[in-house]
Amino acid sequence: MENFLEQMAELFEVDSVNLNDEIISFDAWDSLTGLSIIALADDEYDISVSIDNILNSKTIGGLYELFNQK
Amino acid sequence: MDLKFKNSKITGILTILPKREVLFEDEMENYNFSIQKSLKLKSAMGYNKKRIVEEGTTSSDLCVFGINYLFENEILKKQDIDALILVTQTPDYIMPPTSNIIQGKLGLKHDMICLDINQGCAGYIIGLNQAFMLLEQESINKVILLNADVLSPKVSKKDRNSNPLIGDAASITIVEKSTEETKVFSNVKMNGEGAMALQIPAGGSRLPSSPETAIMKEDASGNFRSKDNLVMKGDAVFNFVQTEVPPMIDSLLNKSETNKDDVDYYMFHQPNKFMLNKLADKIGVSRERMPSNIVGKYGNSSGVSIPTTISDNIGNKALNNKYKLCLSGFGAGLTWASMIIDFGHLNFCEIIEY
Repeated sequence: MENFLEQMAELFEVDSVNLNDEIISFDAWDSLTGLSIIALADDEYDISVSIDNILNSKTIGGLYELFNQK
Repeated sequence: MDLKFKNSKITGILTILPKREVLFEDEMENYNFSIQKSLKLKSAMGYNKKRIVEEGTTSSDLCVFGINYLFENEILKKQDIDALILVTQTPDYIMPPTSNIIQGKLGLKHDMICLDINQGCAGYIIGLNQAFMLLEQESINKVILLNADVLSPKVSKKDRNSNPLIGDAASITIVEKSTEETKVFSNVKMNGEGAMALQIPAGGSRLPSSPETAIMKEDASGNFRSKDNLVMKGDAVFNFVQTEVPPMIDSLLNKSETNKDDVDYYMFHQPNKFMLNKLADKIGVSRERMPSNIVGKYGNSSGVSIPTTISDNIGNKALNNKYKLCLSGFGAGLTWASMIIDFGHLNFCEIIEY
């Protein structure tokens, strides 16, 4: 979990993130950040996710569940 | 599907690039994004410069120009051409075939085969396979494979998803019978259920172009495009490539009994640097052996990207040297195809400008 939060903070270009933070509320959120999240899911969590999956998970906590649903 | 070919080889590659060069920064203000975000995209994807045609230039113009260059320099003889294959997504007309138009403009013999193939990013491998199949015929000794894509007029200038990367180009590859014992290993896969991931919605029979299909609309990410424009589901394409291509390469290396490290270069389609670096890591080859410089130098010209990568990165070194190449193209269709081929001692391998 700690590692995941660090990865998210780096992708969203902030010092730290909370599980309740909304994905679209980050200034750095755009389709490129979306692609970086998709690549991370593929690289490290061995799962294929779409931009819609990411948006539907709404928060950082939702993303954590998405990545670990296997 | 595994394919194998014997006793034929590539003897020359010519890439034809339009002279007109556009910089990423020239078009950045068209996008509905901050400058900072656009520059981040540029750096992550490796975008920079691209080549696009002047208005009115078509696929056949680039091809005819290139073949005439080969005639004028006495590299190719008119009467030796037994077949002309054109792989393109941008034919001059819906009817007749553009390869017949090219044959007519060049005044080639009538006792030959002209064939248009509609394939995209995997179009170089699909075209080579077809050329090798034709060469199995007794009466065919030399095949001219043309790849041409002029997609820039189909891309919305306000689409940050596609506009920064799409370039135009054509290439001519000469494939002929060989007295050497050569072996080519190829693998092709297709999935039409994903066909709409890369498409131009209007302009065909299903949805003819009309004033309505020309209306620009904003999508969820802030890109503007009409139904006449090319549209790409970037996330679906990324996942498809990362899932399907690495196992295909593994299987091809296996079938051809080739060691990963015996391949000198992995000359892949050039969607963007980000995707190619991820692919190299996943396949387990160094990024140096999988060039990713073309999208930022000339743009991604779909089916022409592999010959452009070869012409740029090997060029005239191919005249005296030999290389083992692994080629791979993936995209529209969805089609993905790969090939392991011994390449070298060519008669020519260069880039010219139109």
